[in-house]
Amino acid sequence: MIQSAVELNDVMKTYRTGPIEVPALRGVSLRIVPGEFVATAGPSGSGKTTLLNIIGGLDRADAGEVWVAGQNLQLLSSSELARVRLERIGFVFQTYNLLPVLTALENAEFTLLLQGVPARIRREKVQKLFLEIGLAGLEDRRPAELSGGQQQRVAVARAMVTEPALILADEPTANLDSATAIELLDVMERLNRATGTTFIFSTHDPQVMDRARRLIRLRDGQVASDEARDGQGTLAPAKQDMV
Amino acid sequence: MTSFLLLMKISWRNLWRNPRGTLLTALALGLGLALLLISLGLLDGGHEQTIADGVRFGPGHVVIQAKGYQDTGSQELLIAARVVSTIDEFLQTGPMKRVLLGASPRLLATGLLSSAANSAGVTIIGVIPRDERAVSLIPQRMLAGAYLSDDKPSGVVIGAELAHKLELKTGSKVVLMTQAIRPPGTQAKEATGGQMQSTLLRVNGIFRTGIEAVDAGVIQLPLPVAQTLLGVPDNQVTQIALFLRQEGESLMIARSLRKQLADDPVEVLTWRESMPMLAQILGLDHAFNYIMNGVVLAMVGLGILNTILMRVLERRYEFGVCKALGLRPGQLAAMIVGESLALTAISLGLGLALGLSVEHYFASTGLDLRRLFGSGLPPALVFDPILYSRLSLARIVWSVCIVFVMATVIAFYPAFKAARTELPDALKVL
Repeated sequence: MIQSAVELNDVMKTYRTGPIEVPALRGVSLRIVPGEFVATAGPSGSGKTTLLNIIGGLDRADAGEVWVAGQNLQLLSSSELARVRLERIGFVFQTYNLLPVLTALENAEFTLLLQGVPARIRREKVQKLFLEIGLAGLEDRRPAELSGGQQQRVAVARAMVTEPALILADEPTANLDSATAIELLDVMERLNRATGTTFIFSTHDPQVMDRARRLIRLRDGQVASDEARDGQGTLAPAKQDMV
Repeated sequence: MTSFLLLMKISWRNLWRNPRGTLLTALALGLGLALLLISLGLLDGGHEQTIADGVRFGPGHVVIQAKGYQDTGSQELLIAARVVSTIDEFLQTGPMKRVLLGASPRLLATGLLSSAANSAGVTIIGVIPRDERAVSLIPQRMLAGAYLSDDKPSGVVIGAELAHKLELKTGSKVVLMTQAIRPPGTQAKEATGGQMQSTLLRVNGIFRTGIEAVDAGVIQLPLPVAQTLLGVPDNQVTQIALFLRQEGESLMIARSLRKQLADDPVEVLTWRESMPMLAQILGLDHAFNYIMNGVVLAMVGLGILNTILMRVLERRYEFGVCKALGLRPGQLAAMIVGESLALTAISLGLGLALGLSVEHYFASTGLDLRRLFGSGLPPALVFDPILYSRLSLARIVWSVCIVFVMATVIAFYPAFKAARTELPDALKVL
């Protein structure tokens, strides 16, 4: 059996605000293999972002097991989680979240810098990536001088440049017009195919759902459906070893 | 190292996201430092002047007098002529001559000065005019007439208040009456000891020091006249006042003299010991100034804390992103401390430029207290109405260190807050 990129076993998560308890995930189990291009969809409050946060080690499950790249995140300390995030996971956020004081190139190489990668290698990697995703020539611009689509591409470059095993994208097209969203999806799909990096999106966007090769629908904190595309692009229930 | 440089780069650039806010904050902290430098300069300058004036109107930086004189004030306690010679010889040695500005032997007693109009109790100071002129401020504060001279043996100089009370002017005749000194060990029947003596003197000059006690109750006359009047045999004096080039050498010189005169019945006192009231007033003034500076710095510090904290809180989302990307809490805290240090460096530059400029003005032109107080100058501390600032390098370094440490300590709380940014809450889009 192929080793999982992500594996969740009966994951539970409840948010508490004073006496009020809001269950976000109620016994979610799923398995995602390396190289998948997965979208999680569902109405607001269905648990998409919570699921991504738990997979990304940004939050902890109340119960269950969370395996990412062979490590059980539930057993790691905060600093160990920070290291996993730095070395194994890339993030793309809804609102781009580039550091405004850094240039596009500096933002993209931010995680490499934190990893202590030498300057020459950093520049080479970032410039190669910028060329691939259409950002060549924009290296010295600050985020405020870039369009939304360009900023999100820089965010993708930042996530991809460390060659992580997994990229988590929380509604990456939510703030983009449809043409820009398609361009961004093209970039991410191309990178996914070229590098074999696993992509997991949370989205409301039908364009993202259409492009995903696997679509997991969540409802009330549970997996409502889990479908994969066949050779003709038609969605069908995911194979057993994927679930 | 690379990530440290990145953090410092981010810190520096973050500082200029809001240049106006950064400059205003830096200016506030810089003003705190400038105020500290200016107030310390004026304080030290004022104290230096006060001490300089105090010792020149009083018993000098170091005074040698008969043992017990400081406590009893007994005019019968005199330094023997033999000891006076020993002291004189010691003061002529090379090391002493290098630090000594001058020495003035004085004979002190009390008496009654009478004019045709009135009479008043006075402190009589017998001096060698040449020596006294070199060290005392009284010869420089003559309102009318002239100071004593060695070739006018019958002259006397008196304070303006005394002159007013006795209705005297230069050239007036006065009668000075006193009890002749009876040195310890002599009998009443010997010489003139204990008997009332009087002499006729002519007012040579009138001085005004600004110190009421001096202007209303001190007279100076030539030492030989005073010795004759008081029946002091040989060359005995009450004290020898020493004036040094540097006030800071007082203690060292006093120690050296104590060692040298250990076998003689004399006491050697620094100005702090001979004028304890003045030393206490200066100490209190120092303490009050430190408290005021502390309050000013605390207020500035709280302002800075508020500013940095606001800057941190409004970037909570950004910190969340950094943390999500793998930045560790310590690195986040270092980023904030770095930002604060950069801000502090700018503030120190501004504060030094402003503070030292104003200090330089007060050091060269002076602060004329008459403009602030009019004629109601506080007499206790300052004899000279123009206050000159004096700021040592040590004071500047100390002030910069205080502000630097304060700003750095202040940065720890916002840095701690940033480091504690909670995931995933910080990433929630508002």
